[in-house]
Amino acid sequence: MPYKDRLYRLAKRILISKDEAEDAVQEVFLKLWNEKQNIENYKNPEAFAITMTKNYCLDRLRSKQASNLKIVHSNYQTSENIEKNIEANDGVELVFKIMETLPEQQKIVLQLRDVEQFEFSEIAKMLDSNETAIRVALSRARKTVRDAMIKKYNYGIG
Amino acid sequence: MESVKIKELLDAYFEGNTSLEEEKSLQGYFNSGTVADEFMQYQPIFAGLKVAREERSNKVFSLPKNKSKKNRTQWYSAAAILVIAFGLGSFYFSQPHYTQEEKEALAAFEKSKSAMMLLSENLNKGAEQLSFVDQFTITKDKIFE
Repeated sequence: MPYKDRLYRLAKRILISKDEAEDAVQEVFLKLWNEKQNIENYKNPEAFAITMTKNYCLDRLRSKQASNLKIVHSNYQTSENIEKNIEANDGVELVFKIMETLPEQQKIVLQLRDVEQFEFSEIAKMLDSNETAIRVALSRARKTVRDAMIKKYNYGIG
Repeated sequence: MESVKIKELLDAYFEGNTSLEEEKSLQGYFNSGTVADEFMQYQPIFAGLKVAREERSNKVFSLPKNKSKKNRTQWYSAAAILVIAFGLGSFYFSQPHYTQEEKEALAAFEKSKSAMMLLSENLNKGAEQLSFVDQFTITKDKIFE
């Protein structure tokens, strides 16, 4: 399945919970499948899939907040290598925690740029925005992460 | 990489002014394992991004099978065939079932029945003729009274 991992990572960045993210990707795949006749016509199916995932996850988040439910994540910290790596590196774990606190738009921009390494023009299209706004959001997100890290570092806690 | 260059790149990075290429070289530097002390505080950021990039889900995402609709009609037709077969079968088995011997006996019975019919028909014809005899008796009685 193409894009599977990218969509999953984006969903997890927004929803945080692993299970919720997997459900979201499954849901997006179903939607894409139903529109599969049209998807070939889109110039960039990956961008389309990412936009769809983003919208779905934000909707999901909003409906949860509206019903006063918080997404509870019980991500298994077991045998998976990634989780192990995070535990092995407190600093990295901290970065993830800071990223969770970012506003959604910044979270998404940071994910698409620094993790998935898309061009600004691509991200602007995916998020239906312009490059300047993307750069600003990205800069804010990066600085927030940096400042939080330095703070922890200087206190010697991190 | 020189620390001046790194510093420059980092500043541009936090302003959102680095290209993808420059960001990749920063990634490479911070994940190389030989990071200068002055930049150590930024190392977890790039290490974290690298970890984030490697995240995968083990779940297998399934797509709806296109066949499902076709399958369903196939099941329906199979069920219909079963019902029809059952109906025909029960009709067939509800009919009396004769062995070869019984069939022969039946045929013989039919034959003898039609023979009997023929006989009785002819007999009836004969009986009709007898009415003349009766008439004869009546007339004879009148005469000899």
